Amino acid sequence: MISFILAGGFATRLWPITEKRAKPLLPLAGIPLISHLTEKIPNNIPIVVSTNAAFGNDFIEWKNTQDRSNISIVVEETINDDQKLGALGAVAQWIENENIYEDVLLLTGDNYCGFSIEKFISSARPSISLLAAHDIGNLGLAKLFGTVLLNEDGKQIKGFEEKPKNPKTTLVSTGCSILSAEILPILKEYAKQHPDNIGGIFEELIQRNINIDCFQFEDPWFDIGSFNAYIEATKILVGNHTLKDSEEQIQNCTLNGANVIGAGSRVINSTLNNVVLFNNCIVDDCILENCIIDNECALKGIDLTGKMLRERTTLKM
Amino acid sequence: MLRYRLLLTLWLISDLVLFIKVYALAYFLRVGFLFSTDFSFPKYISIVALSAPFWVIILMTTRTFALTRRQTSLKNFAYIVFSSVTAAALFSLAYYFIYGLFFSRMLLAMAIALSIICGWIWHVIYSIMFRSVLRTDPPVFPTLILGDTRESEKLIEILTAQKNPLKPVAVLDGKGSKKEEMHGVPVLGKLNKLEEVLKKYKITHLIQCSDLEQSINLLSACRKREITYMLLPSVLGIVERDERVEKLEGQSVVCVDSTSKWNWFFR
Repeated sequence: MISFILAGGFATRLWPITEKRAKPLLPLAGIPLISHLTEKIPNNIPIVVSTNAAFGNDFIEWKNTQDRSNISIVVEETINDDQKLGALGAVAQWIENENIYEDVLLLTGDNYCGFSIEKFISSARPSISLLAAHDIGNLGLAKLFGTVLLNEDGKQIKGFEEKPKNPKTTLVSTGCSILSAEILPILKEYAKQHPDNIGGIFEELIQRNINIDCFQFEDPWFDIGSFNAYIEATKILVGNHTLKDSEEQIQNCTLNGANVIGAGSRVINSTLNNVVLFNNCIVDDCILENCIIDNECALKGIDLTGKMLRERTTLKM
Repeated sequence: MLRYRLLLTLWLISDLVLFIKVYALAYFLRVGFLFSTDFSFPKYISIVALSAPFWVIILMTTRTFALTRRQTSLKNFAYIVFSSVTAAALFSLAYYFIYGLFFSRMLLAMAIALSIICGWIWHVIYSIMFRSVLRTDPPVFPTLILGDTRESEKLIEILTAQKNPLKPVAVLDGKGSKKEEMHGVPVLGKLNKLEEVLKKYKITHLIQCSDLEQSINLLSACRKREITYMLLPSVLGIVERDERVEKLEGQSVVCVDSTSKWNWFFR
């Protein structure tokens, strides 16, 4: 088995914090989002990360900081959102170029999966593809994902609908699946017509009466696609704590909820509630709530709620 | 921008000429179409010429020439009335101080009425031409609309229908929109394209029409490029069109006051 992580998106909805970094490299609870995934992949499984030309070097830098040696980076020759191959197109191109004929553990780099990937892999049956699904408990939210309908046995998938207008279930597909080697030719063929429809491959397999198993989990799962999702994920992963490198970073502050203080950042005489401060920021005499502050921002004497600040923003009253 | 400056200069000069002409007309209507020896036309018109710049200055201080001002509005008409009356008062005082004489009250009333009516009509006519020339491609004030909302759709519709000098040239949406265009204005994508769009379309005005986590970054981008930033009150949930911006001890505040309009003078 080989694992393939899709990290070629441009994360346009999270602008400006993704202006200079790929979404999988966004720090989530102190470490890059993609590291949450790779740390869970068994060491004997090689990891291929597919990204675009704009962020290729960043992923190479990230790879160099990892403890494992079996990570490789594949760079698509795209530099902006309008040129991208499409997620499925990227998978197909890699399979084609590398002559892959083994099971593929397919992961989307902007998803956080709380479950054990080892357990997920061990639950796969030979030659049967496996899809991880999570019950999000809300039909409205289910419209935003691929929904999964199960057989009576609760294990096999009988139906898959990508972003349905009227979802029949709240069980949704997550960014984690195992594609058996046998279905890779079908994937390549399907990707030619639908390069951007990653969920569509499961619809196609069901239409061709090819079995797909479902792995249901109740652990936390987040698709970090928006400001709110990022804040929510931070709240759940960090809990009612403040992640920081040292005590000196915080002086005379009131800290509520989940806060992350990046390396080199300092907070003085302020109140923080669910705030993610990236690196080298200075916050003095501020009240911040549900904010994401990018590197090297300087804030003094201001109150902010629900804002994202671009790198090097200076706000002073 | 040269086009705008030229048009504005012409507008100010035309207003000066108009003021002098309507006062001259009032003279001839009152005195008859002759040069009276009792009431010297050269003396009269020299004071009119002296007062004319004050009329234009008063119009300027009431922001009658502002880009965002609609010349047909009642508010604008009221400002023209105010400017005309004040200019007439200045004219009378100047005439009295320089020549120590009074003159026909009817002439003064006629001059005020003519300066109001002709001034207002001229402003309406000029603004039609002004707006049309400013919107001609490439527009002088290309405007970026942020947010695919009902309010932004209405705004684009109004700006287009009224031929406002602020011409929407592109729409961006924080979360992305499925629409390709809104009333003929292309929807170009999400906020990651902000810098590209600001540069490509040489945006001069940006109007935020939806609530965005990135609003502070929009402000910085606007400040950096000297772009005028505007915010629709609907972003704050104010949709009844009864808001106004006031100063509270020197600080700007958005006020919503649903009490009687007559309270406007005192509230």
